[in-house]
Amino acid sequence: MCDTIINIVNIVGKEVVRTVVGLIGVFIVVIGNAIMLTWAERKVAGHMQRRIGPKEVGPFGLIQSFADSVKLLGKELLTPANVERPLYFLAPTLIFVPVLVTFVVIPFDGFLQVKDINVGILVILAFSSLTVLSILIAGWGSNNKYSLIGAVRSVAQNIAYEIPLLLSLLPIIFMANSFSLRDVVEAQKGLWFVFYQPVAFLIFFVASVAETNRTPFDLPEAESELVAGFHTEYSGMRFSLFFLAEYTNMFIVSAIAVTFFLGGYQGPILPGVVWFFMKTYVLVFVLLWFRWTFPRVRFDQLLNFSWKILIPVSFLNLLVTGGILKL
Amino acid sequence: MILAAKTIEEFRSEFKSVDISEVPYDKQGYHLAIEAQTGNLLNIVEFLDRREFYIVDLFCVDYQDYLELVYFFNTHRELCRVKVTLKLDPEKPVAPTISHIYTIARWYEREAHEFFGIYFEGHPGLTYLFLHSGIDHYPLRRKHVPVPDNDRQLLDSFKPQEEEDCFFVNLGPQHPSTHGVLRVVLKMDGEYIVSAEPVLGYLHRMHEKMAESKSYLQFLPNPARMDYPGALLFNLAHVETVEKLCGIAVPERAKYIRTITCELNRIASHLLWLGAFPADLGGLTPFMYAFDDRENILDILEGVTGSRLTYCYFRFGGLYNDIDEESFVSATKRFIERMRERLVMYDKLITGNVIFINRIKNVGIMEQAKVRKYGSSGPFIRSTGIPFDMRKVDPYEAYGSIDFEIPTGHTGDNMDRYLVRMKEMEISLNIIEEAMKKLPSGPFQTEKVPKKLKPPKGDIYHAIESTRGETGVYIVSDESDTPYRMRWRVPSYSNLMTFPYLAQGLLIADAIATLGSYDIVVPEIDR
Amino acid sequence: MARFDIARFGAEIFRASPRQADLMIVSGTVTKKMAPILVTLYEQMPSPKWVIAMGNCAISGGPFVFKGQYNLVEGVDLLVPVDVYVPGCPPRPEGLLEGLMKLEEKITGTRRFPGPESKW
Repeated sequence: MCDTIINIVNIVGKEVVRTVVGLIGVFIVVIGNAIMLTWAERKVAGHMQRRIGPKEVGPFGLIQSFADSVKLLGKELLTPANVERPLYFLAPTLIFVPVLVTFVVIPFDGFLQVKDINVGILVILAFSSLTVLSILIAGWGSNNKYSLIGAVRSVAQNIAYEIPLLLSLLPIIFMANSFSLRDVVEAQKGLWFVFYQPVAFLIFFVASVAETNRTPFDLPEAESELVAGFHTEYSGMRFSLFFLAEYTNMFIVSAIAVTFFLGGYQGPILPGVVWFFMKTYVLVFVLLWFRWTFPRVRFDQLLNFSWKILIPVSFLNLLVTGGILKL
Repeated sequence: MILAAKTIEEFRSEFKSVDISEVPYDKQGYHLAIEAQTGNLLNIVEFLDRREFYIVDLFCVDYQDYLELVYFFNTHRELCRVKVTLKLDPEKPVAPTISHIYTIARWYEREAHEFFGIYFEGHPGLTYLFLHSGIDHYPLRRKHVPVPDNDRQLLDSFKPQEEEDCFFVNLGPQHPSTHGVLRVVLKMDGEYIVSAEPVLGYLHRMHEKMAESKSYLQFLPNPARMDYPGALLFNLAHVETVEKLCGIAVPERAKYIRTITCELNRIASHLLWLGAFPADLGGLTPFMYAFDDRENILDILEGVTGSRLTYCYFRFGGLYNDIDEESFVSATKRFIERMRERLVMYDKLITGNVIFINRIKNVGIMEQAKVRKYGSSGPFIRSTGIPFDMRKVDPYEAYGSIDFEIPTGHTGDNMDRYLVRMKEMEISLNIIEEAMKKLPSGPFQTEKVPKKLKPPKGDIYHAIESTRGETGVYIVSDESDTPYRMRWRVPSYSNLMTFPYLAQGLLIADAIATLGSYDIVVPEIDR
Repeated sequence: MARFDIARFGAEIFRASPRQADLMIVSGTVTKKMAPILVTLYEQMPSPKWVIAMGNCAISGGPFVFKGQYNLVEGVDLLVPVDVYVPGCPPRPEGLLEGLMKLEEKITGTRRFPGPESKW
């Protein structure tokens, strides 16, 4: 048994096997993470609202999210009559691409990384822009006014916030002298970058909340205004793909924040992967906390905040960092 | 009263031939009655407009021989209700519109048109507001009068026409933030609202028609179903009007208990709003906190009234049962203590939130001068700086012997509406506390109230301050045990109709915040 | 603390679109003007779907049925199939919870909690 596996590995090549195994692992992590996060969100929401959240299905309601996923699988796949069919079908699939690709380059551990690409961060940023494309397609293809408004909002919002997001990562790349995520983590052996770059961290975190469409920046799916925003017309499994992508995106932005600012998988005693997940979930918790604390900002306020505050400040930060590094 | 005398004098000098008479206020609830003609109605309304009267209500009564249009006016400075009536031929009822003088008349006249078949000359668009196009007769007419065929097509609900550079969005009737089945048709230019038009009637439950076939006692449970968050106050409006009409005295103790329970209900209603308003802005957590406190009030009220939400506690001449020392009084005292702490907490939690402030400050500004044209009332106009409160202007029950202030705002924006309601809760707590101190002993129900009330012939208008504003009941009695006509003047209706004005040019997000700040209750608007 | 807390059973997630709903709770009077919209909403829901008629108004028109009424649908079951009826005007929260339990019983065939004891 063992021999055959080794033989196959030798024939196909180590890298390919690593990628395939990695992708399967990523799939498991993505789905497991999304299910756990929905549970966590409901529990956090519950406790913040003087409730206890789900508790009847399974211990501490842990089975609840699984039950819900199974239910979603069993729902009818309803296709409304007037949708733009190719686009309507494409959108939920497309939103999953950036989610999967991004996971490939994230270093969970010194060893646990599907593939270390020397332009890792560029891959992440490039592919994460696909999210907004699929939201636009979903909104356009749904042939629904609420969906369209949500999609248009999403585009304006993501363009506005992608810039500070990128600009806040650049100083780190200067300091680590590499685009590779593992190199960035290794460069934080001594002191985490968050202590060198607190401003960049704040900007990154704010921008990433906006990128993931979470409260207070959840305008594309603002319930009280746009019913359900861009996914108003989606039901069953198609809807749950959007849902899955949203929760995975939360994990991804938190993971990038951890990688770039909080020392990634580094930490004493415990294995790296434990540290990585712990740090990531602390940030995810902060995202959940935001959602159940803040009301939503208005659209013009949202854009003003990015163009008039975040972008100038991050440019300034970049300039100062560049200057100091040159000296 | 000074104003009423002055108005009479001025009126007589201006209109020599028109009949104006002074009416005993205690009996009929209004000071002056004017009988207008089709020719001089507009002059009379303009006369009242110049004297800064606001329009209270506009409706029709079918007296079989003739249709009577009734206009009620009042001022914000002093209580001076004026009833203007206009008799119309039932075969061909045509009246001049007053919608260019008082904006709210646009909707009131549409209502009179669809329920009575009255045509208003010069009205910008007489389409259905409440009813669906399948209706074949004028429902509130005493005789069966069919709707003309060409009219029925014209009357069909608002059908938006697509135009270039803008699109229509149907907000509701099943939208999550219209608080029920309200529908607002928004004409949008991108995210900006060009115009908004409310479409009502998705919960029109025919209360007014029903009243005509039920005795006064049988109608008792109905008002609570109109305004479910503030059920006791609507209950009170009905009971007080009938008491006034029949001349039934109420014992002192009952008056105080009515005051206490009504104020408790007012807090409960405001708490419901306090939960829903931030939810409209995207903050979902305050909802649960507000409901937590509301649950306490519901418990207290359930103990004494016997039901949880749609109370029917007041009876003609008193109450359904007495409050008791242990469960009611001590529980209320505990609640007041707790609520005072909670109000401080809400202040910290919500009022101080930067996003919250930025979202509602200087949004949806209602000018003080405009309020009159819409006949709005309640916290909505108090936020513009008009200290008009029926509890103070025309003290009913025990409010006359209790000292309380009326909170007012300055700018009339969403923030002011929020602050006024928050302050009102605090003041209601003070009122309850004082009323509990002064609570006299004695009977809680007048004896010898006949089972079958047969009030004398005549009409009466009586208004109280419900949680959303001036709630008035107009009853025409024909000496039988059922009202000949019962008209409800509901505050949410006239408040909501300012929405088309406020929403113009707003972002959709702000419009929803504004709609949330009204604290509308749809069953009350639709009746 | 929240007293009734439907979230315990995992039913607290708020989805504003009928496309993502499983259960329609008709919680008020259905008027003739609302009826076509209600039917559309029901048809927009993906199956399997259920309907609870909550309150006397939704069940039969409740107190608003009288001679000469012109705007009422006397019971939502005239429009869409109803699975569980929750009586009351309005029903208490416990009533709605019991209605949900009943629906669960109808779907799964088993009951989560022992039902209220019948004394008669």
